[in-house]
Parts: sequence; structure tokens; C-alpha cells
Amino acid sequence: MVTPAIPPPEVFVPEPGPSVSAALTDANVRVTSAFSGAQIVLYGAVFDPETRPSDVVVIVRGPDQPIRIARKVRVAGLWINSRPVVFEGAPGFYMAASSRPLTEIASFSTLRRLGAGIDHLPMNAPEEERIETRYGVRDVVVSRLGGDYLEWRRAVIRLKEKANLYATDHDGVRFVDRGLFRAEIDLPTSAPIGEYQTEIILFQNGEPVSRRARTITVEKAGLERWLFLFANERPWLYGIVSVLIALTSGWLASVVFRRR
Amino acid sequence: MDIYLPIAEVSVNAGVLVLLGAVVGFISGLFGIGGGFLMTPILLWMGIPPVVAVASEANHVAASSASSVISYSRKRQVDFRMGGVLAAGGAVGALLGVEVFRWLRLLGQADLVVSLSYLIFLGLIGGLMLVESVGSVLRQRRGQTTTKRRDRRPVWLYGLPFKVRFPRSRLYISIIPPVVLGVFVGILSAIMGVGGGFILVPAMVYILRMPAGVVVGTSLFQIIITTSLASILQAGRNQSVDIVLATLLLFGGVLGAQFGARASSRFRAEELRAVLGLIVLIMGLQMGLVLFINPEDPFILVGGGE
Repeated sequence: MVTPAIPPPEVFVPEPGPSVSAALTDANVRVTSAFSGAQIVLYGAVFDPETRPSDVVVIVRGPDQPIRIARKVRVAGLWINSRPVVFEGAPGFYMAASSRPLTEIASFSTLRRLGAGIDHLPMNAPEEERIETRYGVRDVVVSRLGGDYLEWRRAVIRLKEKANLYATDHDGVRFVDRGLFRAEIDLPTSAPIGEYQTEIILFQNGEPVSRRARTITVEKAGLERWLFLFANERPWLYGIVSVLIALTSGWLASVVFRRR
Repeated sequence: MDIYLPIAEVSVNAGVLVLLGAVVGFISGLFGIGGGFLMTPILLWMGIPPVVAVASEANHVAASSASSVISYSRKRQVDFRMGGVLAAGGAVGALLGVEVFRWLRLLGQADLVVSLSYLIFLGLIGGLMLVESVGSVLRQRRGQTTTKRRDRRPVWLYGLPFKVRFPRSRLYISIIPPVVLGVFVGILSAIMGVGGGFILVPAMVYILRMPAGVVVGTSLFQIIITTSLASILQAGRNQSVDIVLATLLLFGGVLGAQFGARASSRFRAEELRAVLGLIVLIMGLQMGLVLFINPEDPFILVGGGE
């Protein structure tokens, strides 16, 4: 469904058109040993000389993480995993919050073009694809998953939603006052480290009229960061140190207990 | 108190981990085992990623084994030469096991192999231990004496070349069976995140025919070497050892192991073996259960793509 088209009045108004503006309460999330997820509030305002009906969509996209997904199949009475399928282009975190259901705000093609909404994420399984000539048409992309492809894709989204990593919130953007809105971004503990692109899109008459981009950085800090860097930059030394800690504490415990 | 683990990247309750470490440490001191077969499944159920659980648990097993091996060594109950031979095999096995585990994860079959290994090895050994020890407890209650019929010179020990003298075990046998045993246990320890004591101890008694007195101490000694190496390999190759997780576990673990070792003198060996057999059996069945029950969701996210 698309909002009924009202004749665009801005052609008669020489002033700058409607625009949207937004700010985050916290653009830098520090993952320390006390980290247990984070809630970031996004505040924004719609500036419009006219008061046309406006819809706001907030899209948060975390760093890309390839996803490997398998299907449980029953073989000789045992449930085992099928060969895993790798999906690429899927973000490690994705949230689409809007003031109304996305399908009421804009048309399918507009949403697809903007990549707005989980259904429009450009993720696919390239390893399962091959290019063929079918019915005389060259370069047709065929997926080995065949008709099940959508089921696999839906499963990825369902499992990610269960882990609170993907979310769609039809009334996640709330207008608190005329032109002033807020949205909440909930990062779970398992949210990946990296840069999160936040996009705020103002829709009028089913068309995006103004866009703003903000970046959220999620990074390890303090001791967590130090240990993570140590483990990744000097892995062998890290391994030796951790074993030394283990052996020394075992030895210490036995010495202490012997004295008693 | 919740704490975020830097490598596992999950938040867990620190107090619960210390307590679990202590309980598993107590059991490990009581029975003279590493305790990995208990701890690794617990960590998986807590939501720790399997790679991190297996690698960090190797570190924890090394600590609790070190805590109890010293008291065995004071009582001259460690055959260092035999332990060294087993550990040499264990080192090769750990190297192989870490690679096999990587490969299984790429195939998406790591879960299956881990569940199956637990089901088969723990189920089999737990069941055998339980039957054998309950039988001997019952025979003692009835006042019967256990009749031991043993082939004193099995061909796989004395017929093979490269014989070596093991004075503390009072054996002069081929080096091949202990090395093969070590390799096998090394592979299992890398895949299952265990020390392998539950396999080593019966294998030393029934296959290598070592005297019962030195078996537990020697097994612990070999486990320390294998798990230390596995831990360094996992850290160096996969960056999957979580030092915070391991430290929390071993803090409780080394203390628990000391209390467990003290408590062990209050029980009879057969009764202890019966209880251990039961625990091993339950753990194996519990881990294997997932293969038989219908999954909640037919799809599952598998790691290893990064």
C-alpha cells in the first residue's frame, strides 16, 4: 500500500524543502568487562515549512558477517546437519524502525532501492549460485537451493531475530511532539564489534525526501581490548602465558594446601 | 556479577563460573580425572561458542591436573617415563586433533562429531565402569573374593619391537601401544575439550597392564602435557583461548581439586568407580540426546565462516 498521492506543493514554495535531522545519545559504545548490551536513543526532528504528513524510517546496519547455516536432516534415525550454506552480504546487526509499517510508507520498489527493511537486505548465497543459459537467455543466475532458497533466507532472519540481532519495529519511531521523534536502538551482548551505519530517512507521499546518516562505533575498551589485541597480535605468547597461569595456580594451590 | 568475556564475546555470571569450576574441580580431585568431560558440555549449555569452550577448557584441565598431580608425585605414584611416552603421542594427537576440528567445522559437522564422540566414548566407558564396579561391590558384600584371571604377557605388549623398561610400572614392553594410545587420546582431547583421563585410566589398566597404584598419577601427568600443548596450539592457531574464562574456572578448580583429593581417601575405590561410571554415563547420554530429539527449528547457524 502506498499513501495516496497528494499533489506535491513544494513546486509552489521557493523555500528549501523538508529535511530531517537526528542525533544519538551515544555514538561510541565501549565494550568493557561490565558490558551487557547497550541502549542508544536516537532523537530527531522533521523540519518542514508546510506540515505535510511525514514518516520516518531509521535503519541501523552493523558490520557485515558471513553467515553459515545448516539444515537438520534425519539420517538413519539421527538428526544431523546438512552441508552448510554460506550467506554473504548479511549484516551482523540490523534494525529497521519506522513510524508506520514499512509497506504503508513506501512502495516495494522504493524500499528495495533503499535497502530498507529485512526483506530488502541484499544477502545471498554466492557459493550456491551458478550462471547458466536457460531458454536461450544467457547469464541466468540459478541457485542450487532451488525453490527452498526463500526458506533458507527466512531461516537466517528468524534465527538472527531470536538472537536479538535483527529487528523490525513498526512503531519504533515515535513522534513525541510536533516534528520531534525518537527511536531506541537495543544492542544485545552479542552485537558485533565495528561501525554501525545508521540512516534516518524522511518519507513524504511514499518518496524519500531527506536522508541523514550517523555512525555508531562499537569497540572493545580497557582490559577487554588489551586482552583481545594480545590474543590476536601475539597469539603464541598469549597461549604460553595462559598455560603458565594455569600451571602456576595449580602448583600454588597444592603448596598452600600442603602447609595446612 | 556478570562479566563480558573478551574472546568468547558473551556475558556470563562470574560467580556461577567459579562455583562450577569448584564443583568440577572437586570431582576431578576425588576421582583423579581432569573433569573436562563435565565442564565442556556445561560451557556449551551456557552459550559459550564451542571453539572457545574446547580451547579454554584445555587450560582449565591443565590447572586442576597440576593441582593434584603434585600430591601423587610425592607418593611416588607417577611413572614419568610412561607419562612422557604417552605425552609424546598425545602431542602428535593434539596437533592432528586441532586440524581435524577446524576441518569438521568447515564441513558443518563439528556438532555431530562432538555429540557422537561423547555418546560413544562416555556411554561405553561409563557403562562398563558401572557394571564392573557394581559387580565387584556386590561380590565383596557377599564375601566372595574377586578372581582375577590375567594373561600376563599379551602379544601386543611383548611381541612388538622397541621395548623399553618402565621401572616404576614394573613393565618391560613395546613403546608402540602407549604411543598409539597417546595419539588417540590427544585427538579426542582437541575435539571433545577433555583431558582424556576417562579413557586413559581404564586403557592403562586393561591394555597396558600397569599397576593400579601409578595409573591415576601418570594419567594426570600426561594430561598436563597434552592439554598445555593443546591450549597453546588453540591460542596460536585459532585465537580461541579465553583467558578470563579459563582463569575464573581454574580459580575454583584448583581449590576444589584439593578438597576432592582429600575426600577421596574416605571412600572405597570400587564405590568411587561406580559413582564416576554413573556420572560419565549420564553425561554421554545427555550429550547424545540432541541427536535423537526432534529439533525445535530445522535450521541452525553454524560457526566457522569467519
